[in-house]
Amino acid sequence: MSRLFISLIMVFLFGAGAAASPANGELAPDFKGLTMSGENVRLSDFRGRSVVLEWTNHECPYVRKHYGSGNMQRTQRALTEDGAVWISIISSAAGKQGHVTASQAQRLTAERGVYADLVILDPEGEIGRLYAAKTTPHMFIVDENGILQYQGAIDDKPSASLRSLEGAKNYVLAAWHELQSDRSVTDPQTKPYGCSVKYPD
Amino acid sequence: MERPVAVLGRALASALFALFVAFFMAPAREAAAMELGTVEGSHSSATLVSEYAVAAPGEIIWLGLEMRPREGWHSYWKNYGDSGAAPIFYWTLPEGVTAGEPLYPVPHRMPIGPLMNYGYEAPNTLLIPLTIESSYTGNSIPVSVDIEWLVCEIECVPQDGTWASEIPVGTLAVSEEAAGLFVAARRALPELAIWNASLEIYDAQSRLKIYVDESEIPGLTEAYFFPEGEGVTEYAAEQQWALTEEGLFVDMKRTVGGLEATGGNGVVLLTFEDGSNRAVEVEASMVQQAVASPATGGTSPLVQASLPLWQAIVFALLGGMVLNLMPCVFPVLSLKAFSFISANAKSASERQQEGWAYTAGIWVSFMVIVAVLLLIKSGGAAIGWGFQLQEPAFVGSLVLLMVLVALSLSGMFNITIGAEGAGQELAAESGNKGAFFQGVLAALVATPCTAPLMAPAIGFALTQPAPVVFLIFSLLAFGLALPFLALSYSPALARMMPRPGAWMETLKQALAFPMYLTAAWLLYVFNLQAGATATLALLVGVIAAIFGVWLWQSFKGQIGRAAAILFFLGALGSIIYQPFAQQPGTETQSTGDIQAYSEENLAALLADDETVFAYFTAEWCITCKVNEQVALFTDETQALFADRGIRMLKGDWTNRNAEIANLLADYGRAGVPLYLLFANGSSEAVILPEILTPGIIADAVNAIE
Repeated sequence: MSRLFISLIMVFLFGAGAAASPANGELAPDFKGLTMSGENVRLSDFRGRSVVLEWTNHECPYVRKHYGSGNMQRTQRALTEDGAVWISIISSAAGKQGHVTASQAQRLTAERGVYADLVILDPEGEIGRLYAAKTTPHMFIVDENGILQYQGAIDDKPSASLRSLEGAKNYVLAAWHELQSDRSVTDPQTKPYGCSVKYPD
Repeated sequence: MERPVAVLGRALASALFALFVAFFMAPAREAAAMELGTVEGSHSSATLVSEYAVAAPGEIIWLGLEMRPREGWHSYWKNYGDSGAAPIFYWTLPEGVTAGEPLYPVPHRMPIGPLMNYGYEAPNTLLIPLTIESSYTGNSIPVSVDIEWLVCEIECVPQDGTWASEIPVGTLAVSEEAAGLFVAARRALPELAIWNASLEIYDAQSRLKIYVDESEIPGLTEAYFFPEGEGVTEYAAEQQWALTEEGLFVDMKRTVGGLEATGGNGVVLLTFEDGSNRAVEVEASMVQQAVASPATGGTSPLVQASLPLWQAIVFALLGGMVLNLMPCVFPVLSLKAFSFISANAKSASERQQEGWAYTAGIWVSFMVIVAVLLLIKSGGAAIGWGFQLQEPAFVGSLVLLMVLVALSLSGMFNITIGAEGAGQELAAESGNKGAFFQGVLAALVATPCTAPLMAPAIGFALTQPAPVVFLIFSLLAFGLALPFLALSYSPALARMMPRPGAWMETLKQALAFPMYLTAAWLLYVFNLQAGATATLALLVGVIAAIFGVWLWQSFKGQIGRAAAILFFLGALGSIIYQPFAQQPGTETQSTGDIQAYSEENLAALLADDETVFAYFTAEWCITCKVNEQVALFTDETQALFADRGIRMLKGDWTNRNAEIANLLADYGRAGVPLYLLFANGSSEAVILPEILTPGIIADAVNAIE
């Protein structure tokens, strides 16, 4: 009875508080997701390896800039060859831009020469909301201990144009190299840019 | 009579023709002079216009970029919010000419699902300054620019365009055709910053303070801040505003662990009663605050302490009722219960009158306490609910009162309240006066026991204007009185009570003992506040007062009476005046493993990534003491804390302490107890309920891992 009472009070008091976004230096929130090949995976399955999370939407012009130019694939290749697990997450809701079925996702992966280890379909937007993913692309790096080390944009040029890639600072690569050499990350958090994540209404 | 008409007709025709020429022919002829070109994008079009037909060295001329997104689509402000992109300019300009940062019109809020964007759903014009150095010698300025801009409906389509044109150089000349566009564009800009402002950044929120007098913005119905910088607010979260004596406050929610705040500039949009708007630039100096959230002051809003009024009222009423279950009210309630036992001997209307007298006693006491509290607070003192027990004189007087009531119950003597009421016992009497007095007693001892439901209501109340405060405390008083008031209307209960008899005297004497215990507890509190010498003085004073009462009853002569009054008043005076009280010392030395709370101590522990359990207590807070005994200082909990390496901080609020009062206010509280668990150096605390069990503590600790 008193428990119920107290939890009621807590709901009244703090119900207005929205879910907090994940914070750098803290344990990255665990999630369960269904991949395009039909496996159920958890983030915690990969404890002991670094994990990169990439929110994506193949129809978004900003994503197209990075895939069309091969920039995203190069980044994926560099990190996965270094031992990272790369997970692309599609949080577009059914009927919205970027929503794909498992077979479409597989075709896109093959066509674009993607180096991601896993592609998770998150049409309900649960993982996206858990990470407060705002844009495509929106990048996260989780280290081997499960601690969130980077979140934000892929680079420092918030543009959809190909020429913006020249001279752009790739934050994910930079953070990765710093983590590899046990240095602290210079820009652990940046403002993501791109299309809004197409969450369900 | 036809001729004048014909003349008029011709004049009209030629005037119309002139107008036609002016409107349609002239722009076509001089378009090249001002328009630098239009780009038709797939989902929008954009036109670049020069305000000047002829530029001149040493001048700043303005270009306007009018963007027209397709119906239902929008372009973006310089801070696009959660997603989107601001326009990007790649200029190619001759040496001696530079383009500055564009000026943006006042943006609109565009919520998209759980996200928020700032931008424009309608045609909008950015103004770009071109600075021409006085050394510039060319005959014209070749202006070449690539512009990327993004338009979105829900999907986004990047647009881009290239402009290449020339602006002649000579004697500076405004392009009249462009004037209308530039007038409209300047009207859409926010007003230049006219008020001083500061932006306070806290962990989970930020507060913009604009130092503007209320009279400058009468009839304000909404204020919204568009921050230019990052990390100032969670864009989609609601903002709260309030007009205070200091100025206009806008409170915003921040993402904990989010981007660092990068600046205090932005635009504040004010909406008024008549539906009009005013947008003003803000250049706020940014202040980083170490604490989790701002302190409440006056009528300022506080995001986490805000509560709709009706909820506060419901909490107050329920909280008042729950107060009846608090240990500190028990002795008084036993008195009240006693008066019910004699209910059988009274008529229904007598019982009901007493019920209301009891309610009135509680209500009047609450109103007096609140009035004093508000008065002291308006003087700037950091005090909170239960403040009266921080005053040794008050505690001393309460000791005397309890002892006298107890002695009266014991049958030592009858306290008389003036000649006309001779022979009536005050607290134990069964009339309306007695009931009123019981109400007063209940209220006095109940105030320091903040019941769980009361805490948010009181915390909320003390930040509100006075009428709201009185309303909430009235309901609190009513809630406290309600159970007995309801019982006084129950004839079934009255019938259940046994017949009065000699046993009542015995019971009455038995009830004296809880009162003695209350006096003992208050004496202990007094001793901590004022020291041993003052306690001795208090005891002497109490005995002198009893002696005075005894004199009064034993000697009916004038001298005896006079001596009695002298003794009594002298004793009361010495208790209130407190000649031997020591300055209350704050407990700063640490006892055992427990450190005393201070902002520095907490900050130091958190800096070492320690997990900290901070508890705020006072000797006069029985709820606190009960929690400490049954939940906190149990072997089980202490073993758990030792196992997890949890450090304890104790904030002792027995005496006034501004630092603790401020912390309580930060958490929307006005009194103790308060239990905070800071996990692994995080400055965000988990707030534990006000009634603790070992299980609640263990759950909270385990939830960290």
